[in-house]
Amino acid sequence: MDILEVSGLTHRFADGTTALSGIDLAVREGEFVVVAGANGSGKTTFLRHLNALLLPHGGRVLVDGVSTADDPVHARRTVGMVFQDADSQVVGETVYDDVAFGPENLGLDPEQIHRRVTAAMAAVGLAGFEDQRPHLLSGGEKRRVAIAGILAMQSRVLVFDEPFSNLDYPGVRQVLEQIVALHRQGHTLLLTTHDLEKVLVHADRLVVISAGSVVRDGPPAATVKGIDAFGVREPEASRNGMPLSSWLS
Amino acid sequence: MAELTTLGFRPGRSLFHRLDARFKLLCLAMISITVLRAGVWGLTGLTVPGLAAVCRLGIPLRSMLKELRYLAVLLFLVFAARALSTPGTALLTVSGVSITREGAAAGGLVCWRLTSVVLAGIIFIAATRPSEIRGAVIRLLAPIPFIPERRAGTMISLLIRFIPMILNQARETADAQRARCIECRKNPVFRLKTLCVALLRRIFEDAEQLVVAMEARCYTEDRTSPRFSATPRDWTALFVTAAACAAAAGIPF
Repeated sequence: MDILEVSGLTHRFADGTTALSGIDLAVREGEFVVVAGANGSGKTTFLRHLNALLLPHGGRVLVDGVSTADDPVHARRTVGMVFQDADSQVVGETVYDDVAFGPENLGLDPEQIHRRVTAAMAAVGLAGFEDQRPHLLSGGEKRRVAIAGILAMQSRVLVFDEPFSNLDYPGVRQVLEQIVALHRQGHTLLLTTHDLEKVLVHADRLVVISAGSVVRDGPPAATVKGIDAFGVREPEASRNGMPLSSWLS
Repeated sequence: MAELTTLGFRPGRSLFHRLDARFKLLCLAMISITVLRAGVWGLTGLTVPGLAAVCRLGIPLRSMLKELRYLAVLLFLVFAARALSTPGTALLTVSGVSITREGAAAGGLVCWRLTSVVLAGIIFIAATRPSEIRGAVIRLLAPIPFIPERRAGTMISLLIRFIPMILNQARETADAQRARCIECRKNPVFRLKTLCVALLRRIFEDAEQLVVAMEARCYTEDRTSPRFSATPRDWTALFVTAAACAAAAGIPF
């Protein structure tokens, strides 16, 4: 079943620039899709349509069968988003408060919120960090706080906007391990990046966006060939005709 | 890793942390009103326990004073205005402008009062989770008509969340400008302008991003608030604070 259905999606910025032009895409439940593209290609704008932070100027976006324009809150409950700048999405003064922010907005009772927050923090390996101040955590830990924040909302689709930016090697591994584990647990994942080396081997599908349009869509190993033409570096292994390798092995 | 700021919530298990946030907010209001009326002995009676509370909460006094250096500029202006405008016995006269003994005393007292209010606020913020502050503000404003208590609660909790961030950004922006030899520019207005423009731009950008992040997590004013339950300890703290405030306000000097 397709949990995300995007058809003819068009978006224009206030200055008249077309950011997205007629995007068609369907994502099955449980699928792990990497969306690649150069800076300014429209990746982030596309992701923001999936949880109704932006609404289409043309076409439509259906989340679990419901249009984002008709029910933005349904889209936000179903699709959780981890932003590129983890600092900017920290709302709480402590890790616990930040993870609890989403469930509080859903109007759950305090006991239920506590259960969800505790479970989400344990799921990302942050048990014991409840009273820590998020701004003082490492980059990888901050991203995991952000992931816990959307897990606590029990979002079925998790969307990551450049999750590896500004992270050192251990930070990348921490976040990548988390992403792979979430996929294994059955979550639907969409992840944007222009650095395919780190993640592509774990994905089910690669979608390439260039100048606001989908220019390639298919299995990672085949789709990645010659991707340099769209401003994205082809992984070294693929260039050399070898199978893609994982940063986790 | 971000630099630690002393102004903000400090997790702990002290008596201050365990008190009900509504009672703490009421105590803060009483203390703030009292210090604006109290004399030297009354202020001493409130400041000494305040400093003890700062130590008990583990707030490093030196760092706190460093964070408050911008407040010192305001206090200096207040002091100067009082010292120069109050008539009395001249302590010092330069070019026909006199600083009077009475003006200096009045200016010092006003500065002490303002500092005491800030100190009480720092103690309250250090010992109370922002979510509890939000809940307490909502509960206490609810009976007052025409005030959107939920919006006010969210605004206050976000403001508290932003203070350490703004201080960090001010420090980073100032460092970045020092790295490019801003000290070589002797005009203080130019230096202030370059700092403020860059800082304000960053603050507004961060605020914009925060709004988007809150929207993405289904932000609503009707969020679940923490549950409060008053205990005898809370009532005792309230009565003790009320008695101390009454005594401080009643001392004539």
